Parts: sequence; structure tokens; C-alpha cells
Amino acid sequence: MKRAYLQIIILYCLKKLQGQRTIYSILHLLNGKKSSQTIQDAHLFQLTRLFKTFEQLSRDELDRYTEDMERQSWISNNEIGHYTITPEGERILQDVLLKCPLPTSLNGWKHHKSTDVFWGRLSLLVQVISHLNNHHTKYLPVQKKTSIHKWLKSFLLTSGSARNEVGIILYKELLKCFEGLCDISPAVLTLRLTGHNRIGLTAEQAAEQLGLGLAYYRIQFLAALHYLMECVGRNPGSFPLMDKVLSGLDESIPLTLSTEKTYNLLNQGLSIDEIAKIRRLKRSTIEDHVVELALNVSGFDITPYVSNNIQESILHAAHRSNSRQLKHIRQLIPQAEYFEIRLVLARFGEGK
Amino acid sequence: MKLETILKQRFGYASFRPGQKEVITSVLSGKSTVAMLPTGTGKSLCYQLPGYLLEGQVIIISPLLSLMQDQAEQLMLNGEKKVIAFNSFLTHEEKKQSLMNLSKYKFIFISPEMLHFEAVLNRLKKLKIALFVVDEAHCISQWGYDFRPDYLKLGEIRKQLGRPLTMALTATATPEVKEDIKKSLYITSSNEFIFSVDRPNISLKVEHLSSYREKNERLVELTKRLQGPGIIYFSSKKMAEQTAEHLKKHGIGRVMSYHGGMSQENRILVQQQFIHGQLDLICATSAFGMGINKENIRYVIHFHMPLQMESYLQEIGRAGRDGDNSIAIFLYAPGDEQLPYQLAESEVPDGIQLDWIKGWLKENKGVLANLSQYEEQIRLLSGLTETQWRVFEDSFHRKYKMGLEIERIFDEMKTYNQIRLESKRQSIEEVYRWISINKCRRQHILSHFNEKKTEVIENCCDICGLEFNFFTQKNNKENQENLLYDWKNHLQALLIPGE
Ligand SMILES: [Zn+2]
Repeated sequence: MKRAYLQIIILYCLKKLQGQRTIYSILHLLNGKKSSQTIQDAHLFQLTRLFKTFEQLSRDELDRYTEDMERQSWISNNEIGHYTITPEGERILQDVLLKCPLPTSLNGWKHHKSTDVFWGRLSLLVQVISHLNNHHTKYLPVQKKTSIHKWLKSFLLTSGSARNEVGIILYKELLKCFEGLCDISPAVLTLRLTGHNRIGLTAEQAAEQLGLGLAYYRIQFLAALHYLMECVGRNPGSFPLMDKVLSGLDESIPLTLSTEKTYNLLNQGLSIDEIAKIRRLKRSTIEDHVVELALNVSGFDITPYVSNNIQESILHAAHRSNSRQLKHIRQLIPQAEYFEIRLVLARFGEGK
Repeated sequence: MKLETILKQRFGYASFRPGQKEVITSVLSGKSTVAMLPTGTGKSLCYQLPGYLLEGQVIIISPLLSLMQDQAEQLMLNGEKKVIAFNSFLTHEEKKQSLMNLSKYKFIFISPEMLHFEAVLNRLKKLKIALFVVDEAHCISQWGYDFRPDYLKLGEIRKQLGRPLTMALTATATPEVKEDIKKSLYITSSNEFIFSVDRPNISLKVEHLSSYREKNERLVELTKRLQGPGIIYFSSKKMAEQTAEHLKKHGIGRVMSYHGGMSQENRILVQQQFIHGQLDLICATSAFGMGINKENIRYVIHFHMPLQMESYLQEIGRAGRDGDNSIAIFLYAPGDEQLPYQLAESEVPDGIQLDWIKGWLKENKGVLANLSQYEEQIRLLSGLTETQWRVFEDSFHRKYKMGLEIERIFDEMKTYNQIRLESKRQSIEEVYRWISINKCRRQHILSHFNEKKTEVIENCCDICGLEFNFFTQKNNKENQENLLYDWKNHLQALLIPGE
């Protein structure tokens, strides 16, 4: 069961998707594909926290997991590529998530751009401090990226603390931060750290030592990093040093290039149809862009595309049907377009 | 200043290893030098030290990216900041930057394919080149076991750079390969140093087993009993991985696999864990070991047959750099020679592939002048591997420039490939013969390099007789470290300065 945690995550996604998307939308989600469709689906089906958590997952692997789950009757196939979870699957999913829950701090979408850099900076900083403490100048840095080395250089120059104190402050801040981390052991991070005379473990080794499957370990590792970033981000005053480790990391959500272009044209006062014509794209594509903008640009006004009246009835219907399925909502208010429903759900949906 | 003083000050060594001083003195006297130094004797010091005594830049041509990276890092670890490894690892921006500032560096590592760029070559021409180093110089010879077409152009480049003082280094070269090196580099007068390929502190043992399964069982037994640290070499990434898992299941605790398919971060970690004694055993492909400075490796086991004696010597040469007794064990089961034959064949395009490309080129004559632009297409359709393509493109290009007809080009290529394949087969047979002989194994290796065994060596080889218990573990130490992991303690040890 430990080995198959990735399978459980796929099962979880299938449950959330309710058979409304193909199995490959899960691949795009876990890989972190930056397309309007993937980003909107992640929001629509409340799967944002899993965005880009398994970048390495391949189509073949996904196929194998899916076949296996179908063989065990955890899922059933309704139309090609579309699966729904069976009662047996539900039971397994509940059972596993009870024993190995998804960590609460996991938030792939929010941190997907900065997690790697944050870990790179933190691990290099710890290594450098450890060697400084021991007056070592010859060692092989665990991080090779020049951008991270450049950051470290300027950090050490501008940290404002005496060199021998940086370690003490970082230690205290990390300890304070970890105090509030209740569902993950900080060991998932610390085992990986390299210092003087002790080289950090690889992910595989750390998972083995903690007795976790690799996929579940990976989820915990990411969640622990997300937790640190969140903890520091909420209260930078209490963690001045960690705040510097986070500084300059771009947490803002990027728009896809194509959406960016549409956004510019909208700002020049063009209508959706005009933009479709100029850009030689389908109207539905431009609509996708508008939905993406509603999701990601705070303060993006959707009233030009959905009247206030309809907005209200959609919200009302969504509430009543307790469903995020567009079909169900549309049944309740036939006068609303699908585009309008998506737009409203995007604006007022998850996390807003 | 005495060379020993610089050695101590710059590198922290008290004395030279055999051969180093002779080679260094030779280039310092202004004479181009061809040196054959066995693996594990500190080849790179031979150009690093003169770098500090000669005015201008040291250019080092190195065939393997990973090797180059390791060597550059080694220098940086030694506190040398003016080092650059100029290769495809650099981003476009970084390349541009460092090219502008090339004269600021003292040691410039460069891959042979980078020298094809006019811009790079023009920059190099403006430098004052103190020393032009060709590392792994046997790659220049078509008869060497590791021929790289890119290396063939080095002679031309050396000419264009005004024939700077040159040092050609290799660990293993037969006399004909050595002649090839000098000829290809246009070295007319030079000093030559040939140091014995023999490493008397490494005992040689071949074990004949009846099957693959028996080899696996023997591996468990050996790794349980032998004094570590050790390396097991495989020809396949998958086997290296699987065996590491297999050994773990059988209670060999501190073992990891290492191969080129791993992420860079993991490769660094595993390599460093091994160097720092956190691992006792590495299951590796040949990607592991180049440039790794670990003195106390006690055994090297070969699970698969290498393709030639030269690479076998390189790999076992990683044992016993500290001069202490070590052992190299070769596990052989009938049929093992099939894999190297297949590997050798996969390196050379076959007749059918060449016929196919010929047909395609005849239909698309327009592409002949800039073939490299069609690499992807041609490789996809003909199924050439990357290595095969490099060899093909290079020789096609040269022959085409000479004005040969397509028919003729392909005929020549086919003949040539036949010869190359034949020579690879002979190398494999050579290894096979070595496994099968019942005379001193050391003597046999030495005669391959036109050397003679002069001294009597204790525990020489399984034929002369060796005491296996000599290489087994003296004390059984249990490692408890992992059981008692406490993250707070670890974090404290990392971050809080000691007393
Ligand atoms: Zn012998």
C-alpha cells in the first residue's frame, strides 16, 4: 500500500473529477502543465494543492496505475479515457487517507514556482553555515545552479548578522517554525541537509529511513516546504532571516502567454468576438483566457461578461445543487451560458 | 622555487607520486610531452602545477563532460578561482559572458566540440597559451578503445593556435596508439614518458561461475566478507540499480547505485556519501569513478565483461590509491561475452542502416552540404544512436569535402566500419583470453602493453596464488547511526558552532 500512494492520489483526483475529464487531465495536473484548461480544472475540481506535485510522472506510469485500479475494481470506465470511482475504490481511498492523509499544508498551486528555489537556497545556506562553523573552505556545494550561488553571496553580504550568528538565528527560526507543524516530522527535510562531515540523503534514502513510500515521502517533503514558506510569509517579522531566504521569490501566479495577449486586448476595450477575430482563435479559446483571468487576476471584473443578476442566480444555484458540475447548475438556470457559469465559479470559487 | 615547495603550498602534498615530477619538469623545460600514467596516479596534477609557473593560460581538452566538470571542481575545491569549464552545461548567456572574459581565467577546460565554433577559436587565438593539454589522449586514435571523431581535429586546431607547448596525457596506450597521438597532434619533437600500467598493490582474481544466478549469489557472499569500501561495475544502469536493491535485501546495509541516468543532485549526494564513508559500496556503471578522489577503495568487482583491457584497467585502477593492498575481482559465467559483442555492434552503424541513409541522401541531394541540420530526421528514420551519428556525420563530412561520390563514400564507410567492428571484436576476445588463461594474469596484461613483469608480487593473482582472507573484513562494525536519528540534534550539529 505504501508503494502505491501515487495511485491513491490518482484515485483521489478521479473522485474529484467525477468522470467529467479524461484521465490525462490528471497527468497535466500532477506534472504542472501551464495550460488554461489544466489551471481551470484544478480550480474547478478543487485539486489546486496537487498541482505540479509529480513532475516526473509519465503517461505510461499513469496508464499502468489506471489499468491496475480498473483490474481491482477501484474504478470503472464509462467512456474512453473517463473513469469514475467505485464503492470499493471509495472504501480504499478513505481507508488509506485515514492512515496517510494528505498533509494540510500541501499547496502545489500557490508555491509551485518557488518551492525548488526555496529548497535550493535553504539547503545551500545550511551547508555553507555548517562549513563556516567548522572553518572549512574546501567542499563540494550540493547545489550547482549559479543563480542560487549568486543569491547566497549577496545574502551573506547583506544578512546584517555576524557570520557566526547566522547559524544560531536560522536554527532558532527553524525550530520555532517547526513547532506548529503537527502532521509531518521535520525529519523529512532535515535528513536531506548536507553539512560538514555529513552528507544529506537522497529522497529515496530518506523515504527508506522514515519507512515511507517514495510518493508519500515526496508529498510530505513538499508539504513541509510549503509549510515553512507559508509560516514565514504570514509572519515575516518573527522570522527575519527566513524571510530573506524567501525574498524575491515570485509567488505571483503567472498567466499563460496567450492569455496575457488576450488580457492586453481586453484592456484596450476589445470584445471577446473582436479578439477572437484578430487573433484568429476560436471564441471558446478566448473564453478560456477570460476564465483564467478571473481565476488569477485579483480585482478582474466579470460584470462585462455576466450581468449581476445572472451572477447571483448562478451562485444561488451552485449553492443549492451543492455541485460544481456545470451540467447540474445549468439545469437549474437554463438561461445562463456555460461560459457564464464557469466565469462565476472561477471568480467566487475555491479560495476566493 | 623548488617543485616540492609549490606542491606542498598549493596542493598540500608532501611528495610527488611516481611519474609526476618527470612529466612536470619536462614541460617546464619547454618540451612538448606525451605521458602515459596509470589511473590513480594523479594525472591532473601534471598540468595543474606547471600552470602556476608558466605565464598565460592552460587549456585543457577533455572528452567527457562529467570528467571535465569533476576536474574543474577539484581545482576550485583547492581554492583556485580562475577556473572555467567551457561546455554545453553553460547557458547561452554564461557562454557569452565567459568568452568575453576568457583571459581572466588561468585554467580553461573545454570540450572538443566547443572548438568547432569560430567565435571560441578566435578568442583562444588571442590568448597567450602557456600549455595545451589533451587529456585522455588515446581518444584521438582510431585504434584506441575510446575513439572520438571530435578529437581528430585537435591537430588542426593546435596548428591554428600556433603550435603551443603541448601535453598529451593518457592512462593506457599501446605503442601504436602513442604514435597515432603524436602524428594527429602534429607533435614533431617531444619527450615521452611511459610509466608502467602495473599497480602492484591491486591483486587480480577471476572467478568462473556456472550461471548468472550463481554470480548474483557470489556477489552477496563477497560483499558480506570483503573489506570495504568497494565498487561493483555493471554495463547496464538497470542491473546496477537492481543489484543494489538485491544486496540491501540480503543485509548489505550501506549500498547505493550510481549511473548517468540519475539526477545531478542525487549523483552529487551519492558520490559524496561514498567519499565521506557514509556508504560502503556503490553499484555503478562506468559513469562512476572518473575524477573521484577516494584513496581507500579496497575492492572493485566486475559483474559484466568490459569491452577491452584498457577500460578494465581504468576501472580497477580506482582501488588502492593510498597504496594499500586491494583486490580486483572479475565474475565470469559462460555466455557473458555476448553482451559486450552486442554493445560493440551497437556503436557502429550496420550495412543496412548505411544503405538506407545512402538511398535517402540520393533522393535529397540538397541536404548534403549541411547534413547536421537534418540530424534528427536522419537518426529517426535510420535508427542511428547518438554515437553512431557522430561517427557517421564526421566521416561523411570529411569525405564529402574531399569531393568523393556518394557511392564511393558509403563503400569506404562500410569497409572502415567493418574494420572498426573487427578491432572491437578483437579487444573483447583479448579480455576473454585473459579470463581463460592459466598463466599469471598480471604478466598477460603487461605484455599487452609491451611491458614485462619484473618484480615478485605477493598475492599477485589467482593463478600465482592469493590469500583471499587477506582481503576480508577485520572487524565487524555495526552502524547504529541511522537508528538514532533525531532531527533537532542534526539541525543543531549543522547550524550551531561547536566549542
Ligand atoms: Zn600473477
